[in-house]
This record gives sequence, C-alpha cells and structure tokens, in this order.
Amino acid sequence: MIKFEHVDFTYAAAPEKKSLSDISLDIADGECLLLTGESGCGKSTLLRLLNGLIPEFYDGERKGKIIVSGKEISESKIDDLAGKIGTVFQNPRSQFFNVDTTSELAFGCENLALPEIEIVSRIQKTVSDFHIQNLTNRNIFELSGGEKQKIACASVDVLRPDLILLDEPSANLDHDSTQSLRQMIKCWKAEGRTILIAEHRINYVIDLADRMVILKNGKVANDLGKTEIRSLTDDTCEKYGLRSIKNISPLTLAKEHQENDSKELIRLTDFSYAYRGAKNILSIKEMTVPKNSVTAIVGTNGTGKTTFLECLCGIRKNKGRMISNGKVYKSKARLKEIFMVMQDPNHQLFTESVLDEVMISMPTENEEKAKQILNEVDLSDHADRHPMSLSGGQKQRTALACAIASERSILLLDEPTSGLDLRHMLEVSEILKQLKEQGRTILTVTHDSEFIKNCCDNVIELSEVK
Amino acid sequence: MEAKKSFLDPRTKLLLVLIEAVLVLATAGGERLWIFRLIFTFLPFLLLITAKRYGVCIIGGGIMAVTIFLDNFVFPYATGIIATTLLITITVITRFLPAYLMGAYVIRTTKVSEFKAAMEKMRIPDELTIPMCVMFRFFPTVREENASIRAAMKMRGIGLGGKKASRMLEYRLVPMISCTAKIGEELSAAALTRGLGKSRKRTNICKIGFGIFDMMIFALTAAMIIYRTVGVFV
Repeated sequence: MIKFEHVDFTYAAAPEKKSLSDISLDIADGECLLLTGESGCGKSTLLRLLNGLIPEFYDGERKGKIIVSGKEISESKIDDLAGKIGTVFQNPRSQFFNVDTTSELAFGCENLALPEIEIVSRIQKTVSDFHIQNLTNRNIFELSGGEKQKIACASVDVLRPDLILLDEPSANLDHDSTQSLRQMIKCWKAEGRTILIAEHRINYVIDLADRMVILKNGKVANDLGKTEIRSLTDDTCEKYGLRSIKNISPLTLAKEHQENDSKELIRLTDFSYAYRGAKNILSIKEMTVPKNSVTAIVGTNGTGKTTFLECLCGIRKNKGRMISNGKVYKSKARLKEIFMVMQDPNHQLFTESVLDEVMISMPTENEEKAKQILNEVDLSDHADRHPMSLSGGQKQRTALACAIASERSILLLDEPTSGLDLRHMLEVSEILKQLKEQGRTILTVTHDSEFIKNCCDNVIELSEVK
Repeated sequence: MEAKKSFLDPRTKLLLVLIEAVLVLATAGGERLWIFRLIFTFLPFLLLITAKRYGVCIIGGGIMAVTIFLDNFVFPYATGIIATTLLITITVITRFLPAYLMGAYVIRTTKVSEFKAAMEKMRIPDELTIPMCVMFRFFPTVREENASIRAAMKMRGIGLGGKKASRMLEYRLVPMISCTAKIGEELSAAALTRGLGKSRKRTNICKIGFGIFDMMIFALTAAMIIYRTVGVFV
C-alpha cells in the first residue's frame, strides 16, 4: 500500500540537518507498524509526509518517491487525503475544532460534504464500537485528557480511512487511558486498516504490532518482524535506546516508606478540594512523606493527583496543613517553601533567555551560580536561547533548573516524563537523584512505571473519593 | 444521537444581542420606548433561567436590585461628588449589565455548529464565519492557559508586590502568546488533515429552525419598531 523509495527530507526551518535520509520502506495493506526511536529521529516527519502536512503546513525539500495506493503522494492534495488517511496527534488539547463532542465527531464528514443520514449512522457505529456513549453531547473542555484522546480517535474513525497514523498518541495519557487507546487500535486492526504508530511508550501496543521500525538520525536502523518483536527483552530495547516493553500499571508498584526508616517525615493533614459545583475530588486525612527522598504519587484518572499538587504547593487555596520540623505551614506559607514543575513547562517560562529564567528564580540573583545550575542540568550551551525556542525536554530541564535555583526545600513535579524517550527520562531521573542527595524532598505525580523503578523511593497511591 | 435543540434559534439570539446593544446600551429611541427597554432589561434574566444558569442570574439580579435601590432611594438625596459617582455607576450598570448578561446567555447556549448553520442560512460567506467559529473554540482555551500561567507566576513569586512587579505584564503575555499560538498551529494542522478548507460546500448535521418563542421575540421587536415609527399600534 505504501512505498518509500530513497526518501530524503530537510525542513526549510532547519536546513542544516537532514530530518530523514535514504528511507526505503514497503508497508503492506493491513499492516500494523510501530515506528520508534529517540526524540528527533524523524518519526513525526515520516507521518507528516504521508498525511500531507508536508508540504501543505511544513515546508522543506524532499527527494525520492512516496507511493500510496499506486499513486505518487505529491499528486494528491491534502484535501483529497482527508477521507483516506486519518491522523491522531499527540496533544489532546489541540486537535478538536468544536466545543461539543458530537459536532466534533461529525466535523470531518461535514467537511467532506457527506450526506447527513450517512454522517449520523457513521457516528452511531463509531460510538458503539468504541463504547463512548457517555462522551456524546459533552463539552470537550470538561473532558479529561484520556477522554479527549478517545474523541480524537473516534473522529478519525468516522471518516473510515484505510490508513491511520498515530503520532505519539499516548504522550499525555495515564496508564488506564493507554489501555483504552490500545482497544481502539485493536479495533482498527481487526477491521484490516493499515496503522502506523509513532511512539516512545511502546509497551501498550507492542503485542499488536506486526512490524517495528527503529529510526536513528533519520535512517532506518532496525526493521524487526513479528517473531523478532516477540523475542525482544528490556535489555535489547535498552541497547536500541527504547523504553521498556513491560506494560506495568504504576498502581501495582505502590509501596509505603518503611516505619523504621530513620528519615524525618513531613506530615500533610486535611487536604481536600472540590471544584465549583462538584463533589470533593480530593480528600486526604493524613499523609506522611519522608524527607530527602523521591516519592511518587500514582492513581487512576480523576483521583485529583494534579489538584493535590496544586493544593500542596499553595496555588490552589485550601485548608490543608503541612507540618515539617514541628512548624505548621498553611496554604500561603507553603507558596514560599515549595516549587512546582508543571506538566506543560510552557506555562512557567516567562523571560527572554534560559539564564534569565534561572536568575529570577533565585532568592538573590547570582549569575555564577545560575550558570553552575545550568551545567548541572546539561543546558550550559543554551544559556542565551529564548526558552520558547527549546525542545520539550530542554524546556522541562529549564523548569527543573529554576526549581533548583529557587533553593526551596520541597519540589513537586507533575508527570515529568510524559512524552520523553529513554535517554531523556533517565536524565530527569539522574537530576532528581542528585537533588535528593542535596537534601531536597521530591514528590512527583507520574504514570510512568519505568521512571518509578529508576528513581522513586516510595510510591503513594491516591484513590478515588467515595 | 439527536442533540437537544436549543430554546431559541441562533439567529434570534443574534437579534436579541443587537437589540440589547441598540435599545438598552445605546438607549436609542429615547424615553418613548421605556416600556420596551424595561422588558429587554429583564429578558436576559428569564433566558438565563431557562438555560439553568442560576448562579449568574442571582448575582446579576442582586447587582440590578442594589442599583435600582440606589437609583430610587439614595440618589435623590445625594449631592456633590457622591451624586456624580452614583449617577455614573447607576448608568453604567443599568445599561451594560443586561447586554452583558444577554451575551453570556448566547455564548453559553449556542453550539459552534448551530452558529455555523445559522450563518450559512443567512448566506454569510465561510471566510467570515470560520474565523468566528475558531474564536468560540479559542476563548475557553485562552482562559485555561491564562489560569495555568497565573498559577505558575504565583508559585514563582512574581506578581504585584512580589519580585519584578514592573515586568509582570510581559511575563504574563509572553507565555500566553506562545502557548495559544502553539495550540492554534496544532489545531490548524489537525483541521487540515480532516478536510477543512476543502473547496466544496460542507454539510451540517445540526438542525436549526424557528419555533414559537422565536416568533414571540419577533412580534415584540416588530411591535417596538411600529410603535417607534408610527407612535401607536395600528
């Protein structure tokens, strides 16, 4: 169905580096292909060449041939591809066009000017296939990330494309949501659609894949068949620079700190929170967190993990108390003691250079020290860059550098490894371990079992409020 | 599957917003239309109740009640600067509040696809309609981003009374612009892959049409225009 013949691609925005070089691939009808490799290896570029976003949206120079269904792809415009190739993107917040879910499901078909009856019957089928009756006629802004991603998959499904591309669809999802994503991919596979999945987190789909292509610096480094995939182990994956293939729910890793542990404890009492007009999402009578350690907070969707961090940090006003060294900290006092690295670092980078960003975080500005901190997080080369021009992983490390610079003793992180490849995940783990050595207390909300195994000392599970 | 049809047609809602602006906000028609002005001052409250937006309705009603009280029982006895302040406050609230509430009602109860269907029926070109639809989608996004950025600033101790107060606006705007621009870019990419911008005419599964309540609003508007131009109901 798809044939790449010696394809080279260079983005106009980054002419010094070939994004893809000499790619030759034959993808059969109905094949489920898992495309993986480190960040920046060219996975997304390959998908963009197929769905028409290159050249329609991203400029660049392409060499070689790409044949889809017997036709050179450059002969079809992006408009004509819409009903044939469907794409699910990474960010659940930015791929819906409507405010209500049902209009969103109809959106693609409406653009193709399908008759109304046809659209309604297609929506009905998709809704029942994907079991999303509870998500129809809802305001998309009130849905969780996982639910938004379900709607994104469903709105691709109503177009009934033969080829489905998924570009890191699980990057912002928790463990349960990846399981529902897996179900939807399974559904497509059973219908015989051709599926290309670009992913770092391969564990939830690896057993569905017929083939796995590992890219490195824009080249095909490995092309594994079904039997080779089945015989993969975590050790071989690590050699390829891939994330773990074990699909482990972080909930099974829960382990409280040992009673006889000599570490001092921070006590948290009476943390509860309710959003306006809703039930309590959070209700914690008492929790203890050992100092100088990394504690993971796990829990399924809707257990208020992020809300808990926001309450603890003090940016969400509440009655909870933190007792540390015999001193009681209320909401407002905690703001000065705790630093939080948010899930989307874009929200907390304000200045014109990475160095400035670190400097304004310091109690008293000190350029020498700021540079030293940047060195610790491996960002010295980027000190003068604008934070917004950095890659996702670099932005996150900038936020971490600010946390270090703030000299606050408690550090909160919200899903610090979402969408990170093995190397970057290990980098974050290393930084956290160092911070622990320096005497900081770290709490991190995460769904990443591999990350927990690497650097977390304790795992606390939040459960749903009854 | 069929979504619940809203109480008023989107076209009627647009008419209502226009009337609020002309009649109540700009007080066109003068003293003579006071009875209509009264009706259109209280209509938004009724509509908000039908939309089950009780909170906004109660707060708005409270402000209105206090204003009317001030107007009738305090203002006549006030003098000097207090009188001026009161006059300005009362005028601003009685004129702006109904229009604001009507706007809140329309935005809360109109789906993007309904709005689009209405614009299509009125033969307004897509070049105008689509950007307006995107705005509907964008307001909540901007609000979400803004809340996150505000929280981050609070946590980092940047703000009024905190560090770098003079550069607060810049610190607020830079991430705001880059975050919304990024979302906008990803959004256009996603919309393109789903066929938006295809030159043929779109279908719309959303049903709109006039009902009895729409007719009532039209009758009221017609009555007002007749009364204004002729002076009597023929």
